[in-house]
Amino acid sequence: MKRVKFLRLCLGLAVAVILARLFQIQILEHDTYVAKAAAEHTSLYDIVAKRGEIYMMDGDEPVPVVLNTTVWTVVVDPQVTDKDAMREAMQKIDKKHWTINEIDDAFKDENIRYLVVAKGVSRDDYLAFSEVAPGGMYAQSYNQRVYAEGDLAASTLGFVNAEGVGQYGVEGALNETLAGKNGMLKTITDVNKVALSIGDDNVRIPAENGKNVVLTIDRNIQKKVEDVLKQHLKDTGISHGASMVYDPNTGKVLAMVSLPSYNPAEYGNVADASVYVNEVLEVPYEPGSICKGFTMAAAINEGKMTSETTYENNGSTMVDNWQIDNADTSQQLGTITMRTALKWSLNTGSVQALRLLGGSTDAITQAGKELLYDYYYNHFGLGQYTGIELFESPGTVVSPDSEYAYNSTYANMTFGQGLDVTMVQVAAGWSSIINGGNYYQPTVVAGYMDENGKFKKAEQKEPVRTNTVSAETSATMRSMLHDTRWWMGDPDEYYFGGKTGTAQAIRDGAYVMDEFISGYIGFGGSSQDHPEYVIITKMWEPNRTVSSDEEVRPVFEDLKMWLIDYLKIKPNTETS
Amino acid sequence: MRKHKPDYWILLVTLALMAVGLVVIFAIGPQRANFLNSALGVEKYSDNSFFLHQLLSVGMSIIAFIVAMKVPIKWLNRYAKWIMLAAILMNALLAVLALMKSSFAICQLGGCRWIGSGSISFQPAEFLKVALVIYLADLMARRKEEGKLDSFWEFWWPFILVSGISLFFVVILQKDLGTGAAMIAIILASLFISGVKLRYFGMALVAILVAGAMAILISPHRMERLTTFKGGGDSDSSYHIDNALLAIGTGGFWGVGVGNSVQATGYLPESINDSVFAVMGETFGFFGLTLLILAFTFLLFRLLKMIPFLDDTLAIMVAGVFGWIASQLIVNVAAMTGLIPLTGITLPLLSYGGTSMMFVAYALGLTMQASQYTRRQA
Repeated sequence: MKRVKFLRLCLGLAVAVILARLFQIQILEHDTYVAKAAAEHTSLYDIVAKRGEIYMMDGDEPVPVVLNTTVWTVVVDPQVTDKDAMREAMQKIDKKHWTINEIDDAFKDENIRYLVVAKGVSRDDYLAFSEVAPGGMYAQSYNQRVYAEGDLAASTLGFVNAEGVGQYGVEGALNETLAGKNGMLKTITDVNKVALSIGDDNVRIPAENGKNVVLTIDRNIQKKVEDVLKQHLKDTGISHGASMVYDPNTGKVLAMVSLPSYNPAEYGNVADASVYVNEVLEVPYEPGSICKGFTMAAAINEGKMTSETTYENNGSTMVDNWQIDNADTSQQLGTITMRTALKWSLNTGSVQALRLLGGSTDAITQAGKELLYDYYYNHFGLGQYTGIELFESPGTVVSPDSEYAYNSTYANMTFGQGLDVTMVQVAAGWSSIINGGNYYQPTVVAGYMDENGKFKKAEQKEPVRTNTVSAETSATMRSMLHDTRWWMGDPDEYYFGGKTGTAQAIRDGAYVMDEFISGYIGFGGSSQDHPEYVIITKMWEPNRTVSSDEEVRPVFEDLKMWLIDYLKIKPNTETS
Repeated sequence: MRKHKPDYWILLVTLALMAVGLVVIFAIGPQRANFLNSALGVEKYSDNSFFLHQLLSVGMSIIAFIVAMKVPIKWLNRYAKWIMLAAILMNALLAVLALMKSSFAICQLGGCRWIGSGSISFQPAEFLKVALVIYLADLMARRKEEGKLDSFWEFWWPFILVSGISLFFVVILQKDLGTGAAMIAIILASLFISGVKLRYFGMALVAILVAGAMAILISPHRMERLTTFKGGGDSDSSYHIDNALLAIGTGGFWGVGVGNSVQATGYLPESINDSVFAVMGETFGFFGLTLLILAFTFLLFRLLKMIPFLDDTLAIMVAGVFGWIASQLIVNVAAMTGLIPLTGITLPLLSYGGTSMMFVAYALGLTMQASQYTRRQA
């Protein structure tokens, strides 16, 4: 039958066309479709690494001071969202998190399709909100840092910016350690972006969570030092202060304070970004007479003089054509010992020590300058990075080979002017003078908390340099620095020493006549042989002369016995 | 006419195709369930929901096949008019229900095509197809015997009336051009085999093509699919075609294997219904699709093969079934492969959906019965 044959032919043709088409799609264009499918089906996800927490010590126990929390940002599409429904939903959110003033604000601009209406919403508020959230409103979660102690140690801790990158302080300097490494998930997903187990091309690189950093800083000491310094700033009306408590026998920073402070959780709300700066580490200054200790230690250690070496104090001395005066030119005139010169902080004494260091009694020599520089720079680490884990400035100490290394420059350097150093450099170098000659690299990292909450202590580092001065020189220096406190009435069963320092402020490269920055460095311990802590403090205010003896040293006086008690330093009952 | 052994190939291929359909639904049912649950925010669909439903459909289809094979076609011929009337009334009922916005009229994608409620539903257009097969075979065979195939009032008038009413319900009221195309195929195949003069057949063909073109022009969603096909159009239709091609193309020669279809996880719309061919292309590859199409072709050739050896009634009836299944196969596959504009039509015996499968099985059962009555000579 012809018509049946015709139908068969039609069917056969149609089938042939279809098979040819299938051959084209499935064989010839197969690769193209596979590539297209991969692009459509494959999703890349970041597996976000958890940022490490920051701990401080509480005695021997680490306690968390910087933690993580999840908060929510609420977004609305005003073109879709019903105004009354939105009003109801927004009532679940604490008004302080609102980024709009009124619900109506969201509906003012008809073209807006995406508007953030609340930020930093807490879990409870978010859960309440999500129950009534109308169409067109949704919430996105993100991690936020919680600074459990508020503004405590802010300049040391730093903060995390909106991009999740640490800025300043520990957050900034140890950002990589804290941030960890984001992982990645490459997977085939269904149309709703839910990962499927289909296919063997799925790649999963797990995130490496950030490390939980334990600081050497003791929360209680930090709190105490901040409180004391704040009180003194308040009492004296001085605007700025910085202080550090340092363990001279390990290099551990026990407290580090810069005031005024700020709250890292609200880092945007500061009037002046200079509060972010850690004064102890990042701002070089001239420490003034504190340096007399360094100079005398160098001369004694070189055997060029002893604490009892005498010289003629006339209240002032000439270096080349420059007259250098003592602070009080009428004090201790006549033949006096170096011990007395340090006790009264006489500039003539430290200049004389430099002359003696160079093998002369009446002139500053190149050899003396070279030796002083060797001690300042190489022995005590002044004018260079200490290697502490945080951001720091190197400062400068003028080399004797420099064209600016005038005799007068070096004479000034003996009492702490004409050089730029940081508080941490001074504390570390000074600690080596009083601890028997061991220079430790300053450190703020005590170790890490592992994922099980176990404290993995960092190894105690050996001193970077031993013998910065000899044990004998060190003992002599302790006694000389102890004598400067002869009128303080320190208790006999403990042993304290210290030195004041004041220097004219430098603003824009020139000395300012009416501004003096003042500091005090002191140590405390049970006996002459064993200093247990060092406290260095500086205070300053633009256009103000701060008195080291009357305004800065009292900070040490308020802390010295508290630290003895807190560190459980036993009284020395052997000596009188 | 003496009854003899039927053509068991028909049964065998029918069962094989339904089995393949079951495997595919079993593999992608959980993904479909998961997708619908999350899209609709319900927990209504379990992993096995679709498979179990399909299993039920297969069971009912086998029953329908047996019923079609056992109930004598002579008896059907006696009631052909009444069957046709019942089918038209049922579609009229659907139209009334839809007009009343009754919940018993189930509407989707702009067309009300189902009667039912809840999980029990029925597509009257499928009944209409089988009624057309039976009624047209009876009408044409009678008029041919009477020599009145050229008579307008005796043959052409009832033919045009019944065909027109049927197409009006399906294409215009139910907006279902896919089913309409299958009906046209039934009508044309029956007419062609009835032995009507080619001149008249040509006129009928032209009339239907003109009517079909008009149906496309007056329906916005069909125009849209046509423009999509030509490279423009809205994103929904082109998304559907793109993802069908993506599924078929990624299959390659051997396919990705059962249960590994990614396109069925929600990318491909209607993955278990109209688009099941594309999922099968991804799953079984060129090799599997070729086998599938050859299986259908073999089945259709078996139908064609018996026609010259049958009485007119049976021959025309088998031709109607041939047109029905061939058209659905070709239209579905051509649409999925981007050869023609997208049309919603099921792949016989494989797509998810009870009514469609049951009536196709019933129609094939009729041809199985017919195969028992072939003469030795044409």
